[in-house]
Amino acid sequence: MRVTNMVSDVQYAMQQSQQNLATALQQVSTGLRVNQLSDDPGASANMVTSLASSANVDQYTKNVSSVLSQMQTADSSISSIVTSLNTAVTLGTEGATGTASTANRAAIATELEGLLTSIVGEANTSFQGAYLFGGTASSTAPFVAASTTYTSAQGSAASPLTAAIALTAGSVTTISDATTGETMTFTAAAGDTIATLQSAVASAVSAGTLSSGTTATIDSNGQLSIATNSTTDGVAVSSNDAALGSMTAVSGTEVANAYAYVGNNSVNKVQVGDSLSVATNLPGSNLLGSGTNVIGALNSLITALKSGTSTEIGTATTAITTALNAVNQERSPLDSTISQLDSQESYLSQETLTLSTAQTALVGANLADAATNLSAAETTNNAVLAAAAKVMPNTLFDYMK
Amino acid sequence: MSLSTSLNIAVEALNAATGALQITNNNIANANTTGYTREQVVLQESATTTTDGISLGNGVSLEGYQSVRDELLQTRIEQETQDQSGASASLSSLQAIEPTFTTSTTDIGTEMSALFSSISSLSTTPTSSTLQEAVLAAGQNLATAFNTASNTLTAQESGLNTQVTEDVSEINQLSSQIAALNPQIVSLKASGQKDGGTLQDQQDALVLKLSALTNVSVTQTDNGETLTTGNGTALVVGSQSYTLQTSTGTDGMQHVLDQSGNDITSSLTSGDLGGTIQTRDATIPGLLTQLDTLANQFATAINSAQASGYDQDGDKGGDFFTVSSTVVGSAASIKVAITDPAKIASSSDGTTGSNGNLTNLSAVQTTKLASGKTPGDAYASLVYQVGSLTSSANAESTAAAATLVQLNDQLKSVSGVSTDEEAANLIQYQQAYEAAARIVSTVQSLFSITMTMGTAAAE
Repeated sequence: MRVTNMVSDVQYAMQQSQQNLATALQQVSTGLRVNQLSDDPGASANMVTSLASSANVDQYTKNVSSVLSQMQTADSSISSIVTSLNTAVTLGTEGATGTASTANRAAIATELEGLLTSIVGEANTSFQGAYLFGGTASSTAPFVAASTTYTSAQGSAASPLTAAIALTAGSVTTISDATTGETMTFTAAAGDTIATLQSAVASAVSAGTLSSGTTATIDSNGQLSIATNSTTDGVAVSSNDAALGSMTAVSGTEVANAYAYVGNNSVNKVQVGDSLSVATNLPGSNLLGSGTNVIGALNSLITALKSGTSTEIGTATTAITTALNAVNQERSPLDSTISQLDSQESYLSQETLTLSTAQTALVGANLADAATNLSAAETTNNAVLAAAAKVMPNTLFDYMK
Repeated sequence: MSLSTSLNIAVEALNAATGALQITNNNIANANTTGYTREQVVLQESATTTTDGISLGNGVSLEGYQSVRDELLQTRIEQETQDQSGASASLSSLQAIEPTFTTSTTDIGTEMSALFSSISSLSTTPTSSTLQEAVLAAGQNLATAFNTASNTLTAQESGLNTQVTEDVSEINQLSSQIAALNPQIVSLKASGQKDGGTLQDQQDALVLKLSALTNVSVTQTDNGETLTTGNGTALVVGSQSYTLQTSTGTDGMQHVLDQSGNDITSSLTSGDLGGTIQTRDATIPGLLTQLDTLANQFATAINSAQASGYDQDGDKGGDFFTVSSTVVGSAASIKVAITDPAKIASSSDGTTGSNGNLTNLSAVQTTKLASGKTPGDAYASLVYQVGSLTSSANAESTAAAATLVQLNDQLKSVSGVSTDEEAANLIQYQQAYEAAARIVSTVQSLFSITMTMGTAAAE
């Protein structure tokens, strides 16, 4: 083969070796084997999925720490409630003894009233603006002081409400009973009237949801009045129906030591793993109303101490013990969730490590190989340049002098 | 036989040596000229004369110059140039698109993860307005990422569209130059030249330039080279060149028409124009459709998850994203529909503290879209395609470039100037010239002997 001008071949060889050098240098300096998608399309696509998993794991880790502090706050509130209930049992037992004088019992009752206030205070604990024991109705305090009578804003003596007045479909009226610890929720359907609500209240009374004697009537002022028929039974009523207007407690009808639960029993779940969600809240209706109405039991003990016999005080104290056990039972899933979160936290940090190892394997450069490649590319490049410098200037003309 | 015959032979030899030296000189002068084909001197033995039954040689005659060509290699180089230009046109567009889909702080994949992270974060405290705003901001960022990706693709598309017009006007210019050379070469050959020489070099260089633009096929005829493109659309026939035109088609893109107005766009498959059209009409629209599909289906899935819950005002969740009802243009038009953070439908029961519906929003990440893939997988497959298209265009362009180097080496081996060889020729022809000159001076001294011979007899 005839060999003519070598310049273009030398240029091509230099270009190639410089390209290899640049690639090797980029791999060493970035530590990455894949610097653009076309370097390895498959690995780039896998990276997208892997990075999404990493982002999820990062978020799960943040969720764990945020949920954990919320649950620890809840747990410490429950712990205070348990302590208060233990004290109440001790005080009740003390008051039940025959030797206790009326004055002693009254003093104990006052002390118990203090404990009840502090238990309600703990049950109304909030964390970052959200009430912990209100179910998902976390924007208002879940335990409110109960009254015997609530009246509607709408209606007056001049233009009284009537049973035939239609309610807005979808409107919700709730009546929370402090004595039973339960809540009647009435959602108006199309065509429902005040009469429908009245019969719903009657059914709730017969079902035991509301205390016996609770009624919904149109009073002499033409307003809808929801009232209990005992000075010791209290309710909390709310409505968003336009025909009724907001329901407010009639002043002076507040029942001492009675608190109605106005939260709900929904539970929020937060994802802390690809297939692990934990319940983050314990509704107050479960905590203080599961089987035994804790506040109601305390209220009964206070009433018994003020006016009851030793036997009645003893019975009321036993009820508190039962309530205490129920609270402890409700608390145990919360505690196990907390320890579950602790172990999930360390699992997630392990997972982060696994994912980042996988990502390095996908797109990272093996540094030993990259360094070897770099020095090989450097050597080749030097050789090409040296060869070019040696070969190119030589022609026959040099020897024709 | 006479002395003057010898002198004539010597003069012809001098002439031949001068001619050969001139060719050597010209070759050396053009050693670095692109497209130059080395020339060789064509020497021929003159016809013998027979006198008295004795045949004697009659010296050398300088017949002319011959360029050393290899038409087959030239054709292969033209072919390979078409492939290489086509691949590198696609490659440069794809390389401009690649960074948009590369993992960064603002690519679609990262923003999608960020949206789901913000939703998950909101689930820990659904009433927090800070966390609600974070979800809105993440949604906005994702929409922007979709918009940017779509804009990058359409900007490339319109850049390529302009390139089509430019390529066509360059093709027309080259065609007319090539056509103009045809009659000149034909008449040169008619005058007895064996080869078009410099004119042929010029024409080859122009055809090579044309090959970088479009697919060209060359046929040799008595009227010079006939050039066609696409499925036989004539560009050059004899001295006549045929112009291509561009016109805006119904799709808003520039279409290439032949002289009679027939659309030949789809038949242009290689060269810069072919690569440009291929990328503009097939590659980018393919990617854009996938991007639009993803944006549309993702927005629809998030919106339907929103609709299954309640916002902070207790109302049924409205659309989170605004997206066009048709798939086309979805990525370009997607935006966040709500401005009030309280409108995020996090609640499943209407109470503000509920996070039940955030589970539905989060589930979009792991639920298959109508395309049969989860949003992450659909995006990963898009990333794979961009990477794989770029990498194969790169491989194609690199391979064609390497082949071109080889072919050019082969062509240079035939047609290139070797300065060493020319140096040797220089010595050879110099010696030939010196020898012929010596004969002239010998004949001259013989003549003068002959002359003096007569004078001596007279004395």
